[in-house]
Amino acid sequence: MKTLRRTLVLLAALSTFGAAAGYAATLSVGSNHLWDGTQTLTKNTCTLTGTTQTTDTFVEQDHAPNTHGTEPTFNVQSATGKAHWAFVSFDLSSCNLPATAGADTATLSLRLNTKPAQDRVLTVKPVTASWSESLNWTSAQTLTYGAATTTFHTGTTNNVTLSIPVTIDVDAKIKSASANYGWRIDDEGAISATQTSTFASANGASNRPTLVISYEK
Amino acid sequence: MRFLSTTFGLALAVLATFVAVGAAATLAVGSTSLAAGNGSVSSCGVSSLTAARKVDNSGNVTEVDVAGIPSACSGEKLSVTLTGSGNASLASGTATIGSCAPTCSAAVTGISPAVAASNLLGYVFAVQG
Repeated sequence: MKTLRRTLVLLAALSTFGAAAGYAATLSVGSNHLWDGTQTLTKNTCTLTGTTQTTDTFVEQDHAPNTHGTEPTFNVQSATGKAHWAFVSFDLSSCNLPATAGADTATLSLRLNTKPAQDRVLTVKPVTASWSESLNWTSAQTLTYGAATTTFHTGTTNNVTLSIPVTIDVDAKIKSASANYGWRIDDEGAISATQTSTFASANGASNRPTLVISYEK
Repeated sequence: MRFLSTTFGLALAVLATFVAVGAAATLAVGSTSLAAGNGSVSSCGVSSLTAARKVDNSGNVTEVDVAGIPSACSGEKLSVTLTGSGNASLASGTATIGSCAPTCSAAVTGISPAVAASNLLGYVFAVQG
């Protein structure tokens, strides 16, 4: 009788253990906080060109004090001791973009009036300090520059428009006006022979530098 | 009689053990008892969110930044779905809400697959904690 009672107690204990394990296995996971929402974007395009929206010039290593802000063309040149750097920037204010907007794509178009003697790869760098058309070689050395945005080939054909993607810099400038102040364009290839690319500037009658921005806001 | 009783008891114990193990193995598919009730699930204070995305020079989205999230959401999970035409999902990502001073922000990186910003027409947000 005693043994039978012990057996029943053991059986009850085992049954209880199984039930407890089963209960623990059915615990579920929940959330304390839940929220969902949406945001819709609108798309548009803004095109900037002309003298009031563009600032451009070039500076010469071999004529350090000279300024060229009002000339109808600007140069990029590689040559030992005779480098020419071009500077181009655009005033985005007429696009009326809020700081929450963003550039989907931004393309800088430059008209190459006169090609260099051979195809050159030009480098585009954001200028991270303000400048004006009175810039010269000496003052250009005191400016600060970001890492190269992109490079492009001049090709070997006169009177062609070259398209240069500058989306990342324009996107940054929309979000913060002081992110950059346009671009410096130079020829960083080491070369002793003079290779000059001449572009139409905003002061010319036609084919001025143009920035087309496709944006969202 | 004593021997018979002991044997019977042992047999019962072994049987009970197998029954218990068997029950444990089948717990996932059934319940012996069910209960229903209500529990309140609320927002952590979010009423709306807006995102700003970064792009690379090719115009592909590299990061989605969401700011202005109430501090009560700190540590919770933000899910962002990038949507295109017809509200189709283009890509999605998650981030833990942090950097609260005084409101919180979150940055969703590693957007995959690549999404051209020009195809991006909206965002769907979810905050879960």
